[in-house]
Amino acid sequence: MEIFIAQIINGISLGSIYVLLVTGFNLLLLVAMIIHFSFPIVVVLSMYVSWIVLGLTGNNIFLGVIAGIVSAILINIITAPMFQHIMKKRGDVDINSTMVLSMGIGMIITDFLSHSVNSGFPIAFPDNLTGRNLGAFFQIGMISISRGDMISLSMGIVFVLGLFWILYKTRAGRAFRAIAEDPAGAKLVGIPILKTGLQSYAMTGVLGGVSAVSIAILLGSASPGLGDQLGHKVLAVSIIAGLGNLKGGLIIGILLGILEALVQGYWSGTWSNSIAFVVMLLAILIKPKGIFGIKL
Amino acid sequence: MKKRILLVFMLVILSVFVFANGAKEEPAASTETVQSSFQVTEWEIPFLNCLTGPIASIGEYLEWGAERAAWEINQAGGINGVPVKVTGIDTAMSPETGTVEMAKLAKNALVVMGPVPEPVILAAVPIAVRAGLYSFTATTSYEYAAKFFPWAISWFSPTEEKLPPVVTAWAKKNPDMKNVVQFVENYGAWPGMAKAHEIGLEKAGVTVLNQVDVPSDAVTFGPLVVKALSQNPDGIVFAANAEKVAKLILELQSRGWEDNSKLLVFSSADDGALYTTGGDNLNGVMIYNYVDPDLDTQRWKEFRAAFKADHDGMEPFSLSPNYYDAVYMIKRAIEETGITGDPAMLKEERIKIRDYCNNIQNFEGLMFNWSNKDGVPQDKPLFLFKIENGKKVLVEKVVPSNK
Amino acid sequence: MSLPLYYFLAITAVYILMTWALYLPYRVAHLHFIVVANMAISGYFGGYAAINWNWPFLLILAVGLILGAVVAFIVSIAIGDAPTFAVVIVGFTFIYITKTVIENWEALGSTMGMFGIPMVNHVLLVAYLFVLVTGFFIYRFDNSRLGRAASAIFVNRELATSFGVNTKHLGMFLQTWAGAIGGATGVLYAFIMNSLFPDFFTFHIIGITMTMLFLGGYTTMWGPLLAAPVLWGLPLLLPQEVASWKMIIYGVLLIVILLVRPEGAITRQVAARVRSIVLRR
Repeated sequence: MEIFIAQIINGISLGSIYVLLVTGFNLLLLVAMIIHFSFPIVVVLSMYVSWIVLGLTGNNIFLGVIAGIVSAILINIITAPMFQHIMKKRGDVDINSTMVLSMGIGMIITDFLSHSVNSGFPIAFPDNLTGRNLGAFFQIGMISISRGDMISLSMGIVFVLGLFWILYKTRAGRAFRAIAEDPAGAKLVGIPILKTGLQSYAMTGVLGGVSAVSIAILLGSASPGLGDQLGHKVLAVSIIAGLGNLKGGLIIGILLGILEALVQGYWSGTWSNSIAFVVMLLAILIKPKGIFGIKL
Repeated sequence: MKKRILLVFMLVILSVFVFANGAKEEPAASTETVQSSFQVTEWEIPFLNCLTGPIASIGEYLEWGAERAAWEINQAGGINGVPVKVTGIDTAMSPETGTVEMAKLAKNALVVMGPVPEPVILAAVPIAVRAGLYSFTATTSYEYAAKFFPWAISWFSPTEEKLPPVVTAWAKKNPDMKNVVQFVENYGAWPGMAKAHEIGLEKAGVTVLNQVDVPSDAVTFGPLVVKALSQNPDGIVFAANAEKVAKLILELQSRGWEDNSKLLVFSSADDGALYTTGGDNLNGVMIYNYVDPDLDTQRWKEFRAAFKADHDGMEPFSLSPNYYDAVYMIKRAIEETGITGDPAMLKEERIKIRDYCNNIQNFEGLMFNWSNKDGVPQDKPLFLFKIENGKKVLVEKVVPSNK
Repeated sequence: MSLPLYYFLAITAVYILMTWALYLPYRVAHLHFIVVANMAISGYFGGYAAINWNWPFLLILAVGLILGAVVAFIVSIAIGDAPTFAVVIVGFTFIYITKTVIENWEALGSTMGMFGIPMVNHVLLVAYLFVLVTGFFIYRFDNSRLGRAASAIFVNRELATSFGVNTKHLGMFLQTWAGAIGGATGVLYAFIMNSLFPDFFTFHIIGITMTMLFLGGYTTMWGPLLAAPVLWGLPLLLPQEVASWKMIIYGVLLIVILLVRPEGAITRQVAARVRSIVLRR
């Protein structure tokens, strides 16, 4: 029983990474109608920026965190017009070509990181960020939750809840959603398209940055290939849950983490990916629009 | 109308394969033995290496070693008085690029160093074999090189002969260790190395517990570590990539593992990623490899100092000496067998290099001397180290016997 | 012909075929990555049959093609007209499963890779004959009623259905065809390279062939035919320092072309213009 509980907690810890990334991914879909396949790679880039600033400032946590968040906002605002441009030309949402554009961005970032940062070696975050040196927050036998896990989880929860609130309970949030759903209609009712569009990109950028910092705390390191490793699963989780479905992403993300932990723990690590994808495949075949339904 | 379009298309494709039908490997130059008056002006040694992509930094360290050897040789007057040049050719991790680049060398190169990544070796070395071109695959395990004997050389003896003794030596240092679990990543030769570790452990009378498979794209390691710890091991061996090994060790420590001397890391994880990810948490962890960084010879000290100077103070990578030694081995082969570099004698001179290197005796390597028998090194040692503050401290030198 | 040119052309054929295998289902807006798994399954089958059963190359090629078609057909029963994303997930799943099975299968060389697939004569000839035949059929398809139906589905699935296009059957047909091409290409690849490595059949080949498809142009079959040799050949000619940035160059080209020419270099208009020039002569 102890091992089972330990594995479930491990699964939640892994799942929380998926949740953070899927939420950012879905948010981009909701406010900008972008399928940002490479969103996890952009998050990894922010982790690298944060790491570089930590190195330059003698591990100043505050500046490191700010750098991660600011870089994510900037990347989002820089790349957003490209996505907009592609979609404007189509007159309609072209999911495939936004996905391919995103792939192109991902290729550039991943290759740049493996070429030019830290000789391509993985980067490790300092203990004062990850909280490794503080020991476990909770530990009975093999059941263990580190302080880093707790900090990043609570940070993630606060931000995700905050985003839900902004998106569904505030005027600005309604404007974001209105633009995504019907830009022409939104313009007609007097929503300033450019300003609101930029705000929504900035907001998803904030989430990207917070995700970067949380994942840095959770994993303690990053490598150029990390975004690719996570990318397929994030896309899959979002599809299984129902594209754009924030709540669905949350639940499926955690469930996928638990499934992988159990397969790795009780069967074989080499099969965990295949099994996770088979289960997701079955889900998608049974419910092609996602378990919780598409929310676009 | 459409038919004309189709006709044009068919003509284009047809012309390609009519052209292609003549695709026959052109034979290397004549086989007749003649006394050559040819004077070579430069010995060019092509080096198929991985200079881009995820292991580009390792490729750079290998290249550095080869170029360092060439520089030293040229300082000392070259090979038979003629300068030598190492030409790095990037194949990245791509077997397709590897085939084209090897094909370019098949006709004229005297000898080739590399390729480096296993997928490229598998695709490109057969081309060299068919062309009668000898290749130095100096970083891969015996099992890959052996497929291409006698046209490839192995830098290592068979895995199941070379690894068990060093693992046994580690186990004997911890006589209270009775049950050992192994983390294994399913990549290339690593499962085979893990099997060799098991042989070594069993020889030391240690029980080998159920292996824990490490997924190649694992990002968190809690589930794997819990699976390992649930078997109550008192020792652990790691056969996975460097970053993953470091993360597994951190995860083990966060779950209460204290005795680092009972953790053994395999040689393929001994690269920068292990130390940048693991940091001081690796203190006391044991690791085995083929290079002793604290060797007390002038030649090694100079090599080490030069490497550090060029790499921001970083210690030489454990495979750095391999292509350095390969260049020197080629030099000795050319000098000892009287190779002229005459294109007219290419075929026989390629064979001369092959036969000489495959059975070279008492070769003066950067770190130690060794001899080859049929392309396999006979008495190369392994070293067991303890990691202290990012450095390896020698614990024991182990010489496996090639029987 | 020189040996480097031989390998360049042989691998070009592989890329053309794999890009066409992506192109066909993309005619109905499906990104059908399962073709990479088809390539691996038939390639490994071919290697095994050649080494252990001494089957002749052409027989292996035929069986590999059928194997690819059968696997793709069975899958297409479920996803013939599924939303694009379901198709993408199916592709990922098959790639992961195939790779895992190969890596754990001793007889296929597991993680070490498969060695010693025999050299056979005229692989290049057969490869280009296959390119020719495939190109011929794709051309016929693109200019047929079915091809126009596919274009209609690409633009608006619902509208196409209301005009009586059977989206499921057309989707299944294209997926099966693409699977057959993938399978045969796997066998060709195995006999060109004489070895196989499980890591090849993953996302790296998707990245390259997708770039070829979208840069060359996904609205006509000519795009891949042009993009494959250019994108694969150019880095081989570029100086070392530039070539080492290959993936970044690919990425930038991909973004630029999507922004400037969303339908890729060779659009239907370009193809039509070339056609009129050819016909005028």
